[in-house]
Amino acid sequence: MSEAADAMRSSTVGRMTRRDCLKAAAATGAAAIFPTIVPASALGRGGAVAPSERITLGGIGIGSRGEFVLKWMLPESDVRFLAVCDVRKERREAVKNLVDQHYGNQDCATFADMGEFLASRTDLDAVLIATGDRWHALAAILAMRAGKDVYSEKPSCMTIAEGRAVVETANRYGRIYQTGTQRLSEANFVGAIELARSGRLGKIHTVRAHIAPWDAAELSHAWLPGEPEPPKEEVDWDAWLGPCPWRPYNSTYVRGGWRGHYDFHTSCIGEWGAHTFAQGQAGIDALNTSPREYCYVKNATGDGMVTKFANGVQMILQRDGWQGSCGMKFEGTEGWVSVADGYEKPEVSSPSLLPEAEKLVAEYMERTGRPMNHVRNFFDCVKSRAQAVAGPEVMHHSMSTVHAANICMWLKRDVYYDPIREEFLNDAEANRLRSRAQREPWII
Amino acid sequence: MSHGILGLGGLSAAVAATAAQAGGDDEPGDAGATEARLIAILKSPEASRKAKADACRQLSVIGSRAAVGPLAELLGDEELGHMARYALEPIPDPAVDDALRGALDKLSGRLLVGVIGSIGVRRDPRAVDALARRLQDPDSQVVRAAARALGRIGTLEAAAALEKALMEGITTTPAGDRLALAEGLLRCADALAAKGESGAAERIYAKLETAPVPSYVREAARRGRSSLAAT
Repeated sequence: MSEAADAMRSSTVGRMTRRDCLKAAAATGAAAIFPTIVPASALGRGGAVAPSERITLGGIGIGSRGEFVLKWMLPESDVRFLAVCDVRKERREAVKNLVDQHYGNQDCATFADMGEFLASRTDLDAVLIATGDRWHALAAILAMRAGKDVYSEKPSCMTIAEGRAVVETANRYGRIYQTGTQRLSEANFVGAIELARSGRLGKIHTVRAHIAPWDAAELSHAWLPGEPEPPKEEVDWDAWLGPCPWRPYNSTYVRGGWRGHYDFHTSCIGEWGAHTFAQGQAGIDALNTSPREYCYVKNATGDGMVTKFANGVQMILQRDGWQGSCGMKFEGTEGWVSVADGYEKPEVSSPSLLPEAEKLVAEYMERTGRPMNHVRNFFDCVKSRAQAVAGPEVMHHSMSTVHAANICMWLKRDVYYDPIREEFLNDAEANRLRSRAQREPWII
Repeated sequence: MSHGILGLGGLSAAVAATAAQAGGDDEPGDAGATEARLIAILKSPEASRKAKADACRQLSVIGSRAAVGPLAELLGDEELGHMARYALEPIPDPAVDDALRGALDKLSGRLLVGVIGSIGVRRDPRAVDALARRLQDPDSQVVRAAARALGRIGTLEAAAALEKALMEGITTTPAGDRLALAEGLLRCADALAAKGESGAAERIYAKLETAPVPSYVREAARRGRSSLAAT
């Protein structure tokens, strides 16, 4: 397929809405074969939003981060959260309680099995996915294959191959997909990105991207000591592991201690790089590509790694340099801008850049129609079928940078990546690390 | 080329431990000797499940044709079948395809689903006939895995098998199986379009537009067909 055709296919992003689908299904009689549950939202209880304009939402794997995002989503007046799926009973019940309390009813349905959830809840327009990293891509793919739009927490894929599969599935089914890199929808960060993109800083030669200042690039393959498996109804350990290699149950993993393990995590580089690489690449118009060179640094973390894009711009991984988390800095021939979480305003090389940044953010919002609210952008796109700000290509290419940087650290040598062919140059071992055989039956 | 993968944090420690079990002490960078030690671990009745799993991880990066046979012997092992595939899937030797195809008639249930999945990942066109037969399997998981794998292979023959299964089972095939067949066909059409066989792709998309599948799948087919116009 030509690039033009692919672009056309992805830019339309499923023009048919759920409402259109319902009409079409009725017209063709397909609904007799795939019966459609009438959406709860269609009942139109309360609220000013017309039921036909309401987005019906479900959740998969809503832990602490997921709960944060869910609480961000629930107040949206045109969104109705109807069901949660989780392999952990404790979380199913916690989310149900949260949602039922919000709506003042007992309607939130719970599911333990994702297959049953996706097959039976044909009334859901979209899902929030906030499992551990190991499940993000697979759950997104399964949901999109079931006709759902997806908001996925990050890091949104474990390998380069998984990222590509997310892109292909979103394009194939015309689904809206948003990865949870929410700083692409925050004014301070967008202001910095737009200062870089607009040329106000001159020619950008260096991007500095924050990586998590804890943990290491090297990940553990050790198994924690085995513990008796809880009843499947309490924690479905087989499903929790999903596509990852089997290991004995240990409650530490389930309580969040999966981080730092190779099968489940993308290291200190992925922990924040999933955000900051996307931010950095946005500022140099490189969201459709990844760096070509990754220069190995002899430390445990990747701190100081220099990566280079085809156009000569370098992006440097740093653990320090900011007062807050997920920082980024653009350095150009005529100035610089730096920002991180908690900054009242971006730090700039010249005070005159600050009003420029504010103006650029306003222009960006006007030009793109995107609000400074990441979940709102997602819901707007679910309705309009426009690409979300952090769509599948953005996720895949920024996460490819994460994976390539990790592979560089794991192999302890420089690696060279072709972001078009999505393969490493003259490095068979690096290429083998682009994918991992998934455990049955959880195979894409 | 150095084999820096041996420095892979926890993996290096695990491999060192398993290598010690096998009595090996080869020179760094000696991939052949390392591979031989890892194969010895796979064959050792004393080696633990963890040790064998770690050996498979290592072989996924450095394994060669020499490792294919010993790994293939584990494809039917309930505990290690997945890790055998983990090692085999990325080994760029056609002996892997032979081994995976050879396992199809020996396995059932999840292990069979896994092998079918790996065949799909490797896009082995010689497996089409065997996978097509699996589209009639009484196990839905097997049917769905075969449908997706055929889609990944993406040849005209694969598409024909999928289309036949979808159309012949309009009234009898479970809805979930039908979705997998449609996914396989969409993958085939996408693959054929990417190879420039737009006529074949268009025919598949058109067929799916009227197939007994949910409207969003028919819409996906319509989008696919529309995208051909831009090529």
